[in-house]
Amino acid sequence: MKFKDNLPIYLQIEDYIYLQIAQGKLQAGEKLPSVRALALELTVNANTVQRALREMTAKGYIFTKRGEGNFVTTDEGHLEEMKSKLLKQELAAFVSRMEKLGVERESLTGLLASYLDDTREE
Amino acid sequence: MKALEIKDLSYHKNLKTILERVNLTLEAGKIVALVGANGAGKTSLMRVIAGLAKQYKGGVEVCGEADEDRRKQYIAMTDSLSAFRDSRKIKDVADFYRLVYPDFDDKQFADILEFMNLNEDERLGSLSKGMKEKLIIALVFSRKAKLYLLDEPFSGVDAMSRKKIIKSMLLWKPEEATLVISDHVLDEIAPVIDEVVLIKKHSVLEQRSAEEIRAEHESIEEWYEGFYEGEE
Repeated sequence: MKFKDNLPIYLQIEDYIYLQIAQGKLQAGEKLPSVRALALELTVNANTVQRALREMTAKGYIFTKRGEGNFVTTDEGHLEEMKSKLLKQELAAFVSRMEKLGVERESLTGLLASYLDDTREE
Repeated sequence: MKALEIKDLSYHKNLKTILERVNLTLEAGKIVALVGANGAGKTSLMRVIAGLAKQYKGGVEVCGEADEDRRKQYIAMTDSLSAFRDSRKIKDVADFYRLVYPDFDDKQFADILEFMNLNEDERLGSLSKGMKEKLIIALVFSRKAKLYLLDEPFSGVDAMSRKKIIKSMLLWKPEEATLVISDHVLDEIAPVIDEVVLIKKHSVLEQRSAEEIRAEHESIEEWYEGFYEGEE
């Protein structure tokens, strides 16, 4: 995993975990890897992983069982929220790239609809 | 809990100013990059902290201990191994470490050697620069210290070995121990550091949290280079 160097890493670790959950690599209610394991897997500071997990706990996306570790929430609303956060980020990046290519926001839906039409599989 | 506290430190050598009015506090458990141009005083600062350079003025406390001999027990600093002949084997160096440092842990040394793909029967003369640096790191993390000082552990080391060394830091740094890594570039260690300390003009010019710099949408490298603009 390569991190952007001009964005706090704890935020990017949060996104990474949201992605794991959205892709089903981490299931609702499943135990997260330990802080040390995550730090090694991502080659980042354990304190930074700790902070990402703290932020996620505060939002209710993960919860801690004393002595057992951190677990993904089973709350449907929170799971949905994480996914929509990721979708929003992807859309924002897409729109901003299109704008840089000179595409007006108003013509985006039309462009996208015709692209989807053209590439539709029979 | 403070791992290191330096107050008004000045260090002169042969009438030359090496360090001037250095003030620096490092908390326990942090990974800190010590950056600055070559000759800025990074190595000298580490040597003063480690009690190897003695003719300084000011206060240096490691884990609350000011006495030079007593604070040495808390510190593990990388050694260039230049005192060992090329014909010496890795295990001879380990024997020496075991003798000199009571906190040297054989099991841990064996584990780190294995992780680094090094064999204790290899001779120092046959090691590449990267392998030698891996050995130096293995030796330093085999000691149970509170403050680890790594002096330019990446200079002349290839990218794969650098990655391995960084992973070993994450694996073997005790949680409550503080790690100071000096370097004049910041590329690969940027994601693993908590703080960056910039040495310029013989003193600490800046001490910043890495995440704080990134929160201002600036990379640590850009931030660092900003201090040298127009000096090329």
